[in-house]
Amino acid sequence: MMDIYAVFTEALTGSLKSVWNIAIIVIPLMIVMQLAKDYKILDYISGFLKPVTDFFGMSKESAFPLLVGLSIGLSYGAGVIIQSSKEGNLSKKDLVLLIVFLASCHAVLEDTLIFVAVGANGFILFGTRLIVAITLTYIISKRADRILDIEKIKYNKEHVEHHH
Amino acid sequence: MFLESIMQGAKKGLETTWMLAKIVIPVFFFVTFLSHTPALDFMARVFEPFMNFFNLPGEAAIVLVMGNFLNIYAAIGAIKALSLTGFEVTVLSLMLSFSHSLFMETAVVKKLNISGTKIVIMRVSLMLLAGFVYGNLVGSVVL
Repeated sequence: MMDIYAVFTEALTGSLKSVWNIAIIVIPLMIVMQLAKDYKILDYISGFLKPVTDFFGMSKESAFPLLVGLSIGLSYGAGVIIQSSKEGNLSKKDLVLLIVFLASCHAVLEDTLIFVAVGANGFILFGTRLIVAITLTYIISKRADRILDIEKIKYNKEHVEHHH
Repeated sequence: MFLESIMQGAKKGLETTWMLAKIVIPVFFFVTFLSHTPALDFMARVFEPFMNFFNLPGEAAIVLVMGNFLNIYAAIGAIKALSLTGFEVTVLSLMLSFSHSLFMETAVVKKLNISGTKIVIMRVSLMLLAGFVYGNLVGSVVL
């Protein structure tokens, strides 16, 4: 039989520790992001990553969330994505592509290193993950265009029928 | 302007932390309670016979179960507790790097109005496919 009190204490301390770990990363991250935005450094980063975002058919505003998720993790990436979409410029397509990419490949440094520490081959891990994420996102970006077009056609048709 | 940017950024940072905390705390409680029930051992026993698809010993099922239902650190603990070869550890790590912490990460993704089910299906499929390909084909040729 499990000791409910001990488990509760474990969950409480563990979850508070997680929130603390999030806070000490997210708050400085958002400060850096705001400074980068206000001093036009973000435009420079987006410009630098434009070949990447263009390749996936994403807007240039996707560059920073992509970079954050890839390097430090899905939750942090999602945090930046939510902030960016609040401020405007992420389309539904950007959102879907970012999540497809980041769900298969995120926190590459941390995730790779902890597995290497128990004896995994880091090159295979990192290489496979990156190649799969790039391929999958590319394929879906091509299909997303078609799906969005179909929806547009459907919408126009309904719109026309409505007028008749 | 500099100080204003910092204040603005700190405010956004607190908002984002609060938003994530509202997801992390309940999921963390759920997952911690889950880890103290026999559910995970039971699931590992169910998946044991299927581990040879990935050229892995049956006992490695607990690593995949813990990684997917709890988190990567729990899975690492399980890897250390078993005696596995370097090849087996690489296959397991590759599988887990595609699919892990499913409760926590899916809860975060759903916050973006993206279908959690589709993302889970995608990640689990990638995990199974990667395990199959590396465990059998690549494993017998390269490693």
